[in-house]
Amino acid sequence: MEQELREIVRKLLEEGAIEYFIGYAEGFEPLHTTPCFIERGEQVQALVWSPLCPYNLARYLHQMKNGAGKVGLVVKGCDARAIVELVKGNQIQRERVVVVGIPCQGQVDLAKLEDAFEGVEAVEGKGDTFLVTVGEKVHSVEKERLLREKCFSCRHPISFEYDFVLGEMSPLVYGSESEFAMVEELERLPVEERRAFWRAQFERCIRCYACRDICYACYCQECIFESKAPRWLEKTTTPLDNQTYHLIRAWHMVGRCIDCGECERVCPVGIPLRRLYKKVEKEVEQLFDYRAGMRVEDLPPLVTFAAEEPALSSRQDRSER
Amino acid sequence: MASDDDPTILVFACNWCSYAGADLAGVSRLEMPPHCRVVRVMCSARVRPEFVIAALSRGLDGVVVLGCHPGDCHYSEGNYYTRRRALLLKELLEHVGIEPERFQLRWISASEGAKFAQTITEITGEIKALDGRREPPPEG
Repeated sequence: MEQELREIVRKLLEEGAIEYFIGYAEGFEPLHTTPCFIERGEQVQALVWSPLCPYNLARYLHQMKNGAGKVGLVVKGCDARAIVELVKGNQIQRERVVVVGIPCQGQVDLAKLEDAFEGVEAVEGKGDTFLVTVGEKVHSVEKERLLREKCFSCRHPISFEYDFVLGEMSPLVYGSESEFAMVEELERLPVEERRAFWRAQFERCIRCYACRDICYACYCQECIFESKAPRWLEKTTTPLDNQTYHLIRAWHMVGRCIDCGECERVCPVGIPLRRLYKKVEKEVEQLFDYRAGMRVEDLPPLVTFAAEEPALSSRQDRSER
Repeated sequence: MASDDDPTILVFACNWCSYAGADLAGVSRLEMPPHCRVVRVMCSARVRPEFVIAALSRGLDGVVVLGCHPGDCHYSEGNYYTRRRALLLKELLEHVGIEPERFQLRWISASEGAKFAQTITEITGEIKALDGRREPPPEG
């Protein structure tokens, strides 16, 4: 698959069809890949692919807004949803992006991998297992033991035209739990326990803004958190300021979050952000029957309305009188 | 009837219906808890959810958004957007432990002065009844 990808990219670059290509390259050690930008045909050997390519490369498309040329990138099925959203939000023009779909066998959770093995050199997906190479030995491990949490609710766009595909693009199906189980678990707690839970999470936040910066959906030219007039947020990291930050961010994820899980992966203090954004995703789904990134034609939930909203009326007695 | 530990409530009232309703409550000399602060907005849809989040996070005890009844919006459809947002925002706030009583959306027309007074009384009571006061606002 890697070889096939390199050939496509080489051709695109040599024909001058794209200015550069965004892909994955080997990182500083075997378990870390890194995003890379390929500008010349002879660089394509750097491109790699494995279950250790978590980055949502659509994040880098924000930068092409002001250019004129075309850009190529490789996407997993889940990341294709980001492209759908960026097109919908007029952030990119679909015809200026050459999308190479890569069939993903599921992504490995590094923490789970490091718990199970030491000195891993490579991981490869094969059927229902991951082949984990440690020294001379190759261990075959059931996928469910190593998958990233988000891969249990793998979802691709309903309709999306890839420019190239390196195999059949179909979502993974693993796990029997509802994708919102972790949200529902919190919902069952009394309100004060939930408050204590999130307070303890937000207290740790150092407001490095990594969750915002890694987010494909955070493309505002001036971020609300950086606005000086009005100033929405103090720079201090008190629990309340942190709560304001996370709530506003969660609000901005309405109809945008595709659960790529990058925010949670990059958080240096381990805040379970998916439990926050998944809640938003759940309500948007149940109230407005909407999911981000599925189809370019879908209208985002908050830019539209119906005079009669049956899904809302069941909860209305709680919200309006 | 008012006491110092009455909760402070921020009220966003739409210019065309609810603010007139609040005004009517005032000129009718209806009694209600005095600890509410009314902010006039041109439409309930003008209230960015960030306003609500910021107010609650900074220590206000409750936020109420008042708009025209569905179908009566001066701008035809503003309150329909408000309705969607409010429901979603309420769910989000509840998820992180902010009680649903602290953020409410009500429809009040220009003729409903009594409903305004009653709404404020009711919500003040509901918030007062909640266990434990919120944390004080951050310093500075």
